[in-house]
Amino acid sequence: MNPDHQKPIFKKAADRGLAGCRTCGLMSPMAKQSKCPRCHSRLYYRKPDSVENTLALVAGSIALFIPSHLLPMITVTEFGVAVDKTIIAGMTAFWLEGAYPIALVIFCASILIPILKVGALLWLCAAAKGLIHPSPGMLTKIYHITELLGRWSMIDIFVVGILVSLVQFGNYTSIVPGPGALAFGTVVMLTMFAAMNFDPRLLWDRLDDCNRRAHIGKFAKTFFSPKSK
Amino acid sequence: MKSRTQHLREASHSWPQPDKQGDTAACLFCDTIHDLVDIQEGEAAYCKRCGNIIYQNRRASLVRATCFSISALIFMLVVQFLPFLTLNAAGLQRELTLINTTTSLMRTDAPILGASVLVFTILAPFFLICGMLYSTTPLLAGRCAPGAEYVVKWVYRAEPWNMVEVFLLGVLVSILKLAQVADVHINAGFWAYAGAMLCTAAAIAGIDRRELWDRLELANES
Repeated sequence: MNPDHQKPIFKKAADRGLAGCRTCGLMSPMAKQSKCPRCHSRLYYRKPDSVENTLALVAGSIALFIPSHLLPMITVTEFGVAVDKTIIAGMTAFWLEGAYPIALVIFCASILIPILKVGALLWLCAAAKGLIHPSPGMLTKIYHITELLGRWSMIDIFVVGILVSLVQFGNYTSIVPGPGALAFGTVVMLTMFAAMNFDPRLLWDRLDDCNRRAHIGKFAKTFFSPKSK
Repeated sequence: MKSRTQHLREASHSWPQPDKQGDTAACLFCDTIHDLVDIQEGEAAYCKRCGNIIYQNRRASLVRATCFSISALIFMLVVQFLPFLTLNAAGLQRELTLINTTTSLMRTDAPILGASVLVFTILAPFFLICGMLYSTTPLLAGRCAPGAEYVVKWVYRAEPWNMVEVFLLGVLVSILKLAQVADVHINAGFWAYAGAMLCTAAAIAGIDRRELWDRLELANES
């Protein structure tokens, strides 16, 4: 019918009225029931309000990201003198002492990964809303990486927990967690929830919209332009 | 006449599937619909459009999942009693165990952080391991444990919150942090926790989600 259109046409489950269960993979007709007959999970074609939920959670994590770096992560008390330490202060201390690998690990886990993750999620949301061209192949990969890396930011919280429990020498030295730790932990959890709420299938839907539009445009050109035979 | 190996290969062609199940599967990432194909052990079915794995047929899946969950459970039980780190400073000695991290955060006015550390490092791994064990062991005998559907559903939902490997890296980072001011040693607890991490990952990856659900459904019917 259309020799120009060389790409194979992929049928979607949603177009056939089928919803694949996210938990157990069973295909069920959406019209009949709203719950999966096998595992009783909720069924949907696409995650409901996926982009809006993701954006809300991302906004929350951006709002908390700033205080998490301004407020002290830990308070070190040495001989009665309390010193507040932020994440960046701890990192620069390592860097100045020449412990470059460890400074880099902290930089990646606590600054680079959260920023990249928020940026990636905003990019994905913009693509899913059709604001920028969706390139699903690449963006799905970015989504995978975002999901994979998010949990590693939690390392800061664990380090705080370990330091607090190990360094308790009564009056000599003790470490107490600060409000920055709570803010940072919340940032990590919010970004994890945001990534879980995003539905990568929306990217492929937008690509299909683009292809359909391009196809109709080509069709119109061949039939209505004066140059055509 | 068929030889024995041929017969075995045919038998292991795919895992037993319920009849009434549809003959299609959708990709989780792009929703492209595919016809179900039988795949041999060790093979995987990939999406034609986006290339992600739709389902895979793991070798000796049920046995693997059960055995690795048992070893992970043993590691996790042992970890509770072994110290991770030993710290010597100015004649004082302190030991870090897994639960210490939670309790000390709770004591120093950070109950929310303490609770989340408890969930991520102890409760989630335990739930994953026990849930896998609870659902896969009766399946070896072709039976379905009561309520296994709910357990498996929540096992897969709890998976991203299992942060054993992140905690291990956290231990390494804090060793480097403390090495300048004190004498720090890694202890047996660290290695046992690393073992628990590897065995949990092997147990979860040992059986495909789809296969586990098909087997559960069949066991429920009979």
